[in-house]
Amino acid sequence: MEHEEATGKGNMGTKKKNLTFLRSRLYMLERRKTDTVVESSVSGDHAGTLRRSQSDRTEYNQKLQEKMTPQAGRAAEALTQEEAEHQTRRMMARRSKVIEELVQTERDYLKDLELCIKEVVQPLRNKQIDRLDVDSLFSNIESVHQISAKLLSLLEEATADVEPAMQVIGEVFLQIKGPLEDTYKIYCYHHDTAHSVLESYEKEEELKQQLSLCVQSLQNIYMQEGKPNLTNMSSLLIKPIQRVTKYPLLLCELRNSTPPSHPDFRALEDAFTAVKDINVNINELKRWKDLVLKYKKNDEEESLKDKLSKLSIHSISKKSKRVTNYLKILTRGESQVKDSTFNREEKLFRSLEKTARHCVKNISFCLQHIQDAMHFALQSVLQLQEISCTKDEEEGVQPEAPGNAPYPCDDFVAHLQKLVLTPLSALLSLFPGPQKLIQKRYDKLLDYNSYLQRAAGEESDLAKKEYEALNAQLVEELQVFNQAARKILLNCLCSFITLLRDLMGVKQQLYSAAAPVTLLVSNIFEMQNRVLEEVQNLNFMKDNSATFIERKLSFEKKKPVQILPEVPRQTDTHRSKLLSTYSIEELYQAKRKCNATQEYDINLLEGELVAVMEQKDPLGSTSRWLVDTGLIKGYVYSSFLKPYNPAKVQKAGAENRSCDDDFDNISLFVSSRPTRNSVTSTPEGSISDSSSSLSGTCGKFETNGTDVDSFQEVDEQIFYAVHAFEARSNCELSLQEYQRVHILRFCDLSGNKEWWLAEAQGQKGYVPANYLGKMTYA
Amino acid sequence: MSWIPFKIGQPKKQIVPKTVERDFEREYGKLQQLEEQTRKLQKDLKKSTDADLAMSKSAVKISLDLLSNPLCEQDQDFLNMVTALDTAMKRMDAFNQEKVNQIQKTVVEPLKKFGSVFPSLNMAVKRREQALQDYRRLQAKVEKYEEKEKTGPVLAKLHQAREELRPVRDDFEAKNKQLLEEMPRFYNSRLDYFQPSFESLVRAQVVYYSEMHKIFGDLTQQLDQPGHSDEQRERENEAKLNELRALSIVADD
Repeated sequence: MEHEEATGKGNMGTKKKNLTFLRSRLYMLERRKTDTVVESSVSGDHAGTLRRSQSDRTEYNQKLQEKMTPQAGRAAEALTQEEAEHQTRRMMARRSKVIEELVQTERDYLKDLELCIKEVVQPLRNKQIDRLDVDSLFSNIESVHQISAKLLSLLEEATADVEPAMQVIGEVFLQIKGPLEDTYKIYCYHHDTAHSVLESYEKEEELKQQLSLCVQSLQNIYMQEGKPNLTNMSSLLIKPIQRVTKYPLLLCELRNSTPPSHPDFRALEDAFTAVKDINVNINELKRWKDLVLKYKKNDEEESLKDKLSKLSIHSISKKSKRVTNYLKILTRGESQVKDSTFNREEKLFRSLEKTARHCVKNISFCLQHIQDAMHFALQSVLQLQEISCTKDEEEGVQPEAPGNAPYPCDDFVAHLQKLVLTPLSALLSLFPGPQKLIQKRYDKLLDYNSYLQRAAGEESDLAKKEYEALNAQLVEELQVFNQAARKILLNCLCSFITLLRDLMGVKQQLYSAAAPVTLLVSNIFEMQNRVLEEVQNLNFMKDNSATFIERKLSFEKKKPVQILPEVPRQTDTHRSKLLSTYSIEELYQAKRKCNATQEYDINLLEGELVAVMEQKDPLGSTSRWLVDTGLIKGYVYSSFLKPYNPAKVQKAGAENRSCDDDFDNISLFVSSRPTRNSVTSTPEGSISDSSSSLSGTCGKFETNGTDVDSFQEVDEQIFYAVHAFEARSNCELSLQEYQRVHILRFCDLSGNKEWWLAEAQGQKGYVPANYLGKMTYA
Repeated sequence: MSWIPFKIGQPKKQIVPKTVERDFEREYGKLQQLEEQTRKLQKDLKKSTDADLAMSKSAVKISLDLLSNPLCEQDQDFLNMVTALDTAMKRMDAFNQEKVNQIQKTVVEPLKKFGSVFPSLNMAVKRREQALQDYRRLQAKVEKYEEKEKTGPVLAKLHQAREELRPVRDDFEAKNKQLLEEMPRFYNSRLDYFQPSFESLVRAQVVYYSEMHKIFGDLTQQLDQPGHSDEQRERENEAKLNELRALSIVADD
């Protein structure tokens, strides 16, 4: 600079009219000088730098323009040229020094790193001490080393064998800035934790020894080289951070010593900005981390006690203020600080969260069901196969050996877990952090809003700063977050679909290996029906179905069974015969219906008359008596019998008897009688003597004085069919529903009152009594 | 047989030859096993059907939930993908329904019909057992009288007992013979009967899975042009997750 001024003074005399120009130029140079000082001092201020470099650029353009304008005086031009040349030379000399320093320090730094890794990190890793987490101490020092090595090689490449006028250092930094930032971000981000971890390690004697052992060996090496600048572990750890903050300073100096016409100038300017940005970003990251940590801690690690203790008047008032503010905003719609980017990102974030949650839930459900479905389907196929194939036959042909079948499903499950569910759940677990911060941001926003309204200076500033820090951080990181989350989500869905496809493919192959010839559905039915028919034709089926049908029938229509008794019932003929043959002491009457249980037993209906021939059975048991019904002889349990009392019988059975009487008077009786006999096929020749004995009994009963007339009235009564009834034999009468019938007799031949003899449209026959309803003429 | 301990002192001849009894047991055992199998199969088929339906339902739910998500309004790509997925899932559901119907018609119903034969068989076997019991009882009675002194009443009783025995024995023998003859026939009929069902079942599965394979194959092609492999995706996911974890807003613990 002094030199410049000196030249300016030397030329003053001759080139007076250029003084003004020169002065302005001088001023500009001066200004630049101070500017750089300012710049390097405020290297943390991103926006300021941007503005500055922009102004520098415009200045440069101005100068170019000046150079281009032809109206500038020749002399002035010559002077500027000469001056500039001189200046350039000086600057180039300085530039080469700076470059040299840059390369040299980088080389030293790299060597330090190398030694550190070789002597400290590696041995510690190799020792594998349980409680010593090398990664949390050194985090990614290896990649820091790599990036440094890369930088150095690039720098050497750019400087060695290149004309100083053509050396472009800025490009190197621009080229490497991305990885540089990433690497150092991680390192610096973890440095705080590393520091605290180191402190905790140094409290433990064993670990401390290990560490100091390593550091000692490193120190020895340094001692040998005569550079005893290393004192302890923490100074080792902080080295990369020191280095990364050094880059902007070096680059700034390099730029200042680069003539504007040098090809490197623009690149250096950009590189300077980039490196400064890196530092700013790293700083921001740490600040945000602190802020985030503060709010994260708030919720996570607090016990109830802590919370209570924190519940001060201040916090209560803060919270209540927020609530009222929130209500104000809701109700009055007051103007509010808004950030549309944030809102958009937040919405996206929430949708992503919901999607991920749903996906995890639904996919795991689906997986469960798929597993079940596959398992059961396979099982049933195998079972059916077992049933439908005999074992000795075509065992080898069937490809579905149970052993290999379940694997595709297991495979699918494992893959699905690995490719879909695990990433999704991992993703899902990352959502709460930002959520909490978003909530906090809203709180801060409310604070900020309330201060805005009251326009309280300092507090407003603080609230604004906090809000803005949170907001800026959220906006920036939510975008990254959302993009990454979306990508993961899409990836997982794609994986899911692909896995389904593969699963289906595997299953298809599995089954189609056993694919049979095509069968039409009807064909199957035909085949199966044929087989089933054959089975139905087997005897045991027939037997059963017969009894089934019988039971079914008897269940539905109990009466029809009774009309078809295997044994003919006692008729009055038989009664009279008994009465005439046996003495009254020998006559007994069935107390209730009695069914044959053994061979030679006979069936008796209630009220039937029997003559006891012997009061024991052939085995000498007196519980079974040999009786004669007049129709058949056989054994009956004596408990079913009671002595015959003619008078009582007449009264009790009056109805029956009278019915019989009526029956006799009807011409129908003659015709119906033979049919009935033919149906029951009575073996005895009862027909032959029926008329004589019948008239005998009739006479006898009539003399017993039953009221015939009253029954004849009843006889005349007209009933109607409540249900339709279909005759099953020619002694029965078919009825239509609501058909009118005359009832001729209210019991059948054996005195069963459930069957009535009816007449309708000139036809006569028996109908079940409960099918009939009484006709009233009302 | 279990009544061996009770016949101490009265050695009786086996009224049913051991070989016959063994044959009968074997044949009936096979059939009982078959019955058990068909019953189990019916249960499993039911489970399988239920699981199938539940599966397609849950699959449809995946896409429906995705479709109803607000994310779709904001992201056209995502919407397209989800719509495609939804279509595929619905088709899967339809095919699944068809498969289930097919299985119901060609496997489950025939199985039920076949299963309805067993009660008759069991009844027949029970009747045979009953007849055998009667036969045994009467046989014992006859033997008892035979051992007694031949007095008048004893002879009468012996005669009577013999008379009683005869029809019971005939009845049992008829039943036994019939069952011995028919059980293997019934057992063998299952082969012809179930083979078509089996084929139909396998076929239904093949049809279903090949359709599914096609549907999802098309879907993957439609959605995933670059054709990422699973490993690529996994790596990408891991990278993205790490990226997320590195964010300061994400809680790291």
